[in-house]
Order: sequence, then structure tokens, then C-alpha cells
Amino acid sequence: MADVVLSVAGLVKAIGGKRIIHDITFEVRAGEVFGFLGPNGAGKTTTIRMLVGLAAPDGGDILIGGESLRNQFSRAISQVGCIVENPELYKFMTGRENLELFARMSGNITTERIDEVVEFVDLTEAIDEKVKTYSLGMRQRLGIAQALLHKPKLLILDEPTNGLDPAGIRELRQFIRKLAEEEGLAVFISSHLLSEIEMMCDRVAIISKGRVISVGSVKSLMEQFADQVDFQFTERSVDQGVQVLRQIPYVTEVWTLTEGHVKCKMDVERIGELNQSLVAAGAEVIGIASKTVTLEDLFLTLTGGGDAHGSEHAGTHSK
Amino acid sequence: MGASMLGLIQNETLKLMRRRRFLVVILILAVLIPIFTYAQFKTVQTAQERLGTSDWRSLLQQRIVDNQNRLASSRMPEEWRQWLKIQIAQQQYYLDHNIDPSAPSGVTFSRGFMDQAVGLFLPMIIVVLAVDLVSSEYSEGTIKLLLTRPVRRWKVLASKYLTLILFVSLTVLSALIMSYVISGVVFGYVGWDMPVLTGFQVVGGELDTSTVFMLPQWQYILLQYGLSWFVCLVVGTITLMVSVLVRTTAAGMGIMMAALISGTILTQMAQSWEQAKYLFNVNLQITDYLAGSLPPIQGMSLPFSLTVLSVWGIVSLIVAFMVFTRRDVTS
Ligand SMILES: Nc1ncnc2c1ncn2[C@@H]1O[C@H](COP(=O)(O)OP(=O)(O)O)[C@@H](O)[C@H]1O
Ligand SMILES: [Mg+2]
Repeated sequence: MADVVLSVAGLVKAIGGKRIIHDITFEVRAGEVFGFLGPNGAGKTTTIRMLVGLAAPDGGDILIGGESLRNQFSRAISQVGCIVENPELYKFMTGRENLELFARMSGNITTERIDEVVEFVDLTEAIDEKVKTYSLGMRQRLGIAQALLHKPKLLILDEPTNGLDPAGIRELRQFIRKLAEEEGLAVFISSHLLSEIEMMCDRVAIISKGRVISVGSVKSLMEQFADQVDFQFTERSVDQGVQVLRQIPYVTEVWTLTEGHVKCKMDVERIGELNQSLVAAGAEVIGIASKTVTLEDLFLTLTGGGDAHGSEHAGTHSK
Repeated sequence: MGASMLGLIQNETLKLMRRRRFLVVILILAVLIPIFTYAQFKTVQTAQERLGTSDWRSLLQQRIVDNQNRLASSRMPEEWRQWLKIQIAQQQYYLDHNIDPSAPSGVTFSRGFMDQAVGLFLPMIIVVLAVDLVSSEYSEGTIKLLLTRPVRRWKVLASKYLTLILFVSLTVLSALIMSYVISGVVFGYVGWDMPVLTGFQVVGGELDTSTVFMLPQWQYILLQYGLSWFVCLVVGTITLMVSVLVRTTAAGMGIMMAALISGTILTQMAQSWEQAKYLFNVNLQITDYLAGSLPPIQGMSLPFSLTVLSVWGIVSLIVAFMVFTRRDVTS
């Protein structure tokens, strides 16, 4: 197994006397993209601030490449590149001047390295323009250039796709995969969008109200939600529909939801066959949708409250 | 690994220059000094129209004779005699070297300029330089990049402070050079050797002239600008602390301007409130001690003001470093 680059154990933080982060523990390994998934206000940014030394934890340990962030700040932080929230740079200076500034703060960075990074993020043309003329996407890329300048082992990005257009998001995704797979970087990414984490990450920690409620591979997480289909019946035929569904052998689980929705676990390939059985039994089906899993579904499942009253979002099956 | 202090200072200098802070300072000086020069020129012109110009020698001669007569008369305290003797020596020097003491020169103008500027104008300029040194990093969010490098926080702030000292020095130097060069166009570039009286002391609310001596004007100016540099350094240090404590440039600017202006007001009306002398902002008129005017509040003297300013400076520096190195960065 690859080296552990970031190890967080028992992290605790209170702000203004109120506990915001409770006992967060996880590890990130070299060459993997690690997702940090949670709704707004879950404590992602607060955690990241502690990981990069902007805020001091009230308890727990952060080790980066084996060095303690608290006791060996310089040695630990020199292995980290980060963008916390927005890519903030000096707008009144050019992209290159910004990079030179950070180069002087990190030490031992040659002009060749700056050129190399600029080329890597594809900013060669605009690098001598003032940053205030850059688009958000360009700032994002300059932010990444800044984060990669000193060849970190760990890249930390806080909701990096915020504000990017779909093309920008796709580009960023490919870029991050490339960094992890080709350069062997450990990448730590926070997001409140499940779809994003699902597409980008190898493993994920799910955080809610300042606690990690699950850590595991994205694949195993998503498998829990595979093959779910949502049927909608007219009010008067719901009971009949449910009865039919429960009798069909290839429908393994059935949940009754509100407004005539019934969720069941089954092979998506057999929707048509099932529909015929329903129609034959006289149940009035007014909608069928294979589900897109949402963060809410995930939480309901993980916290064990996902039976009857889950919020449902119908969508087309996209995989 | 890690950054050299020189590299960090280079960064801070670059940021300060790119924010055009120093340019603004130079522009303010470049606009105001010619205005003051013109005002001075008009004053001199009016005075000369009233008194006539050609007979300054005989006027001076007359004053020397007057002083000598007073000296000759008996029943005069010893320190008064001393004071008159020094005045006579100074006037004689003017006469011997053909110096019209009331005629302005570039050097005299520079001296007068600093006497006027050190209490409010120059400190304000320093505030412009220093007020967003730290707060702008917070308000623009760049603090997140600054503090996630392998550089300790105290070193980051130290580089900012050293850069501030550099620019405070450059500002005071520019004030001297620009007031001399600009006013010299009108008044001439002479007057470095002209003797100036200094060494006054205040004893029991009275001006004690027994310790007064003559100093060539260039030495006087060196002393005067040196003291003003110290005043500016302390104002800069206090501004740096404010910049650490507040999040916006506007708040910092407001606090510092209020402090400076209330200082000016207090010096004019706080004679009866003696504790006010421990405030930094009533101790800024430091060159007045050299020129021998009575201090605004009893008990103030050059060493006193220097001590008060030093204490304020040191405490501000400690607060700034403590807060900056310990505080969490949140948005
Ligand atoms: N400076 C602060 N003062 C008080 N509460 C804060 C502060 N910063 C964050 N919080 C609280 O901490 C929680 C987590 O915030 P944050 O880490 O920003 O969440 P996320 O990044 O996951 O959206 C929120 O409930 C927020 O209200
Ligand atoms: Mg956040």
C-alpha cells in the first residue's frame, strides 16, 4: 500500500466556545484522490484551515509526510500546496510576479520551475498580464500553479469547482486525476456535491456536523445505491402496486415514500418486464425513474434513517 | 527550504510599490511642498514690503546694541545675562557672515517645514503607508497564501515591519530632500552653516535658557529629522498594530486619523488634564523642544516624550506580534 501522506487523528476545534469539529480521523495516501464530502456548514473549510496551519486545532494530531504540523511547521507545510476557498492572489501584480513572490517564500525554486508550472496549467500566454484581468478559470489555474510550484506531496483543494462552468469543471477533474496518477500526488478535495466526488475521487470521507460518519472507497459507497428504481402510482393504486412489487422475486427491497412514490431495489434491465406485471395487475403507473443518488440519500442511509420519508429526486439513469 | 528575510522584504517592498503607496506619499509631498514654499514666499514678501529689505544689517546692528545695553545695566539675573550673551553672539555671527536671519533659504525652509509637519502631516503620511500592510492581506484573502508557506508567522510580520522601517526612513528623507530642493528654487540653496539656537530646558513651567548653545543649521536639521524619524517610526508601529487588529483598511484609517487629529486638539486644550501627556498623540510635536517653545502640558520634556513614544512603540509591537502569530485565520 502506498505511503500515508496525510494523517489526521482526533482533530477537535471549537470556535467561540462552540465545538465545530469533533474527533475527525482519516488518512490520505500518495497517488490517491481523497474526497471530503459534506453539506454546507459541515466543517470542511474549518478542517482544511487546520490542515494547512491557518487555524490551530484544540486537540488531535496532523502529520504531513510524517512531520507534525504543530511541532515541525515548516517541514510539514513545505510538503503541502493548497487553495483554501477561492484562489486568492495579488490582483495588482502579474501572474508571474505572484509566482515569483511565492517562490521566494518557499526557497530554492528556479525560474525554469516557474515556467514549467505555468506551462503545466496552460497559462503561458497570460502569465505576464495583471491577475485582475484574469477570468475565474484562469485564476483557478494560477492558484493551482502556485500550489504546485514547490513540488508538494499533498495538494489540498477546498471546493475547487465552485464558480467554474461545466467545461472548467471537466478540465479540473482531468487535471487532478493526472496529478494523482502520473505525478503520484496525494490530492485532498472537499465538496458538497456527491456527483463531483463520485467522478473524481478514489476514496471519500463523509462529514456531517463536524463528524466523519464514514470513510471508504467511492466504489463501495456507490454500490449501496446501485439499481434503485422509483415508481409513481396514482393515489388509489399505491397499495396494490406495493403488493405486486413485494411479490416479484427480482425486486429485493421496497420502500413506500410520499405522494405515490415507491422505491425499490432491482435490476434496472427488467423495468419493462416489471411494468407489464404492474399494468396486468391493474396498478396505475404514472412515472418510472431510475434514481440519481443524492447526498441526502447518502446521509439517510449512513445514519440509518432512510426508510420511509426520504427526499426523492427523480432523474434519468446516467451511468 | 524556507525563505530568507531578504527575500521576504523584497516581496513586501514589491507589494507596497505595486499598491502605489509610496508613490502616493511622494505625490502628496510634491504637491504640498510647492504650496508651502509659495505661502512662505508671500509671507516674506509682505514682511519685506513693510520693513524694507536693504537695511537688515543696520536693524541687526541695532538689536546687538540694544542687547549690549541691557547687559551693561546691573541687577540682572545671571541666567538672563547668559541668554543675552548667546543672542549677541548669534547676531554677531549673522552680521560677520553677511547672513540675513529673517531671509528664507532652502535649509531654513526645510527646518520650518519639519517643525510644522511632524505633529500631524507626516504621521498621516506614515499612516497611509502602513495602514493596510496587514489588514489588506486579510481583506483580500492573500493571508491564506502568506501563512501556508514554510515561513514562521513572526518572520512574516517581521519582514513587514522591516519594510515599514525602510519606507518610513525613505519618507522622512524624501521630505528633507524635496523641501530643500523645491524651496531652494525660490529661496536659494544656502544656509547649512547658519547658527541656530537650541538646548532650551523647561524648569517649573518656565523656559530655562541657561543651557542654550549655538548649532550649525545642518547639525540642527540632522537632529530634528532624526527625532521626526523616530516619531514616524512609532506612529508606523502603532499603525501596524492597528492593521493587525482590524480587518479593513477603512477601519484602520479611521482609527489612526482620529487618534492623530485628537492629539492635535488635545495639545491645544489639555493644559489642565495632566495625564494626557502619557498619550502618544500629544507627544508628536517633538521638534518644539529643540526650538524652545513651551510644551503643551506641564511635565513634558524631550526625554519624557521619547520615553512615552518608546513605550507605546514597544507595546504596540508586542501586541501586533502576539496577535498575528496566534490568531486563527477565518473569513
Ligand atoms: N469564524 C467562525 N465563527 C463561528 N462559527 C463558525 C466560524 N467559521 C465557521 N463557523 C461554523 O462552523 C461550521 C462549519 O463551517 P465550515 O467549516 O465553513 O463549513 P463548510 O466548509 O463545510 O461549508 C458552520 O456551522 C459555521 O457556522
Ligand atoms: Mg467551505
